[in-house]
Amino acid sequence: MQLLDRSFDVSTTPVAGATLSLEAIRGVEQFLFREARLLDERKFAEWLALWTEDGRYWVPRFHDQANPFEQISLFWEDKMLREVRVRRVENARNWSQQPLTRSAHLVGNITIEGLDAAGHLIVRSTLQLTEWRIDQRQLAGSVFHKLAATEDGGWKIVLKRVNLVNCDDVFANLEVFI
Amino acid sequence: MSLTTEALAAMVRDDSVHKRVYTDPEIFALEMERIYGQAWIYVGHESQVKKTGDYHTTRIGDQDVIMVRAADGKVHVVYNRCPHKGAKVVPDGDGCTGKFFRCPYHAWTFKLDGSHLSLPLKNGLEGTCYDPANPDFSMKAVARVDSYRGFVFASQSAEGPDLKTFLGGVASSIDNLCERSPVGEVEVAGGTFRVMQKSNWKVFYENLHDTMHARVTHESSFVAAREEAKEIGEMPFELLIMDGNGEPYEFWEKLELRAYHNGHGYMEAIFDPAAATRDPVSREHFAVLTEAYGEEKARQIMGMNRHNTIIYGSGSPHTVFQQFRVIRPISVDRTMIEIQTFRLKGAPDAVFDRALTYANLINSPSSNVMPDDVEVYKRCQEGNQTRGGDWVSLHRYLGTDKETPDGMVSTNGTSELPMRNQFAAWKQYMLNPAKTPTQADNKEADRAAA
Repeated sequence: MQLLDRSFDVSTTPVAGATLSLEAIRGVEQFLFREARLLDERKFAEWLALWTEDGRYWVPRFHDQANPFEQISLFWEDKMLREVRVRRVENARNWSQQPLTRSAHLVGNITIEGLDAAGHLIVRSTLQLTEWRIDQRQLAGSVFHKLAATEDGGWKIVLKRVNLVNCDDVFANLEVFI
Repeated sequence: MSLTTEALAAMVRDDSVHKRVYTDPEIFALEMERIYGQAWIYVGHESQVKKTGDYHTTRIGDQDVIMVRAADGKVHVVYNRCPHKGAKVVPDGDGCTGKFFRCPYHAWTFKLDGSHLSLPLKNGLEGTCYDPANPDFSMKAVARVDSYRGFVFASQSAEGPDLKTFLGGVASSIDNLCERSPVGEVEVAGGTFRVMQKSNWKVFYENLHDTMHARVTHESSFVAAREEAKEIGEMPFELLIMDGNGEPYEFWEKLELRAYHNGHGYMEAIFDPAAATRDPVSREHFAVLTEAYGEEKARQIMGMNRHNTIIYGSGSPHTVFQQFRVIRPISVDRTMIEIQTFRLKGAPDAVFDRALTYANLINSPSSNVMPDDVEVYKRCQEGNQTRGGDWVSLHRYLGTDKETPDGMVSTNGTSELPMRNQFAAWKQYMLNPAKTPTQADNKEADRAAA
């Protein structure tokens, strides 16, 4: 199973520095803003296209969780599972999405952290997320993106790790991506 | 309407229950006394408190309790209350308190079984009834604590059947979970999820063996899994465990539902994990068990393919994928589910990987399957508060279930036998404030339910 591939590098500690032009930094920031906006607008097909083939989406269950292989995770999803989630929330008989989950992501404090062993760019940001479905809730945390440069000068997501401040809390269902 | 014995008895009919049992806060309060105040309730697994002083906090109904390992190796369960001013002695969660408990308010200290150890400036209590041996100066222990193969249960009542008698036939599920380890032992591992449901606790128990809801409620997730499997050209384990709910009615009709005394039971498995595309885990597991137990016994252990088991009042173990969904009633319309995952000691690592995957996909708050369940439970909770009718139906296959020496068995897998069996136990508890139901009482209830 791809999800159990322990060779996947989930580390978000840089092994080398990254020197980006101001224009390139602006490009990274715009990429993160756009990613968040696609989730808020429920443009899931476009959101799925932001990822590399083997990209992983991870929301740890524990603070400072070392990896998703020895412990449970709030989300640990590869391409297949991200697609299944989108198919489910878009199914006409998605009883628990009537009404739909609505969200507003506020992405800030973006810093370029450096490069991982494979040369992916590590970017850290802070997330404030308001979600509404019958009840309103507030989610917040730090987000690490590992990004791969594309040939046309853009970015694709290799890893998105969301460290929720309340990852060890009691939760109502988390139906859509954070 | 006051809650007289007659009124409570009238709420459970052979074929239906009054909706008030789900919505009335007074009934909930009475359940906390008469069910959670008497029955054996699962508080945790011994592996959660490995060393002296290790504790795990949890709840027995509406009571905050601490499960703790004492110096003599025994596991104790005490109420989380200091006898001085009433403060909770330890915060909620897991930790290690060392050699004794020490209240953070005025430093009263207690041995790990809750008994009084000391307090500062004792001379201030001279001339009073203060005496370390006086139980008024100790943390109170829950009346009875016992463990079945490492699974710790406690009863707030000094009377009633012992744990083994209480579990009856459902102990076979705990046995099977343990025997899946080549050394017969399991441990809680990988962390626990906690999920809140906006519904009464009994609805979840009923749904665990409700085979008629699967293909209706879960249409969004099994269709999503099937579409994805079609597109990628295979059915890996992650999709197989979502696909099962989409089986046609004929499939569910053939499953077996077992009901034991005290509301317990299990349902036969929906799918064979070995059916997943290229899944070598079951083969590897079987080889290890064959080495430990011999081929015949290994075949019997792996062949006991059960889906949800119910230990009424405690929750739902899943033996094949090593989970325990512990069900904690919070209020009449709030229920918290605490999901534990177990490692089978000595089993191949891949078996634990599979248990983690199952937990992440099915039992996590982010599950693609669970939200539709949680939504319909909430709709029941809200619908039952309207004036649109008073009774909740349990009619399906009434009168066709067969009696066995230790309970009942369905003749059709869509029978509402499990719900009738649960309410037979509920009625026994609720009408008998003084004691837990006995085997004999349950036989009568079974007959009444049939």
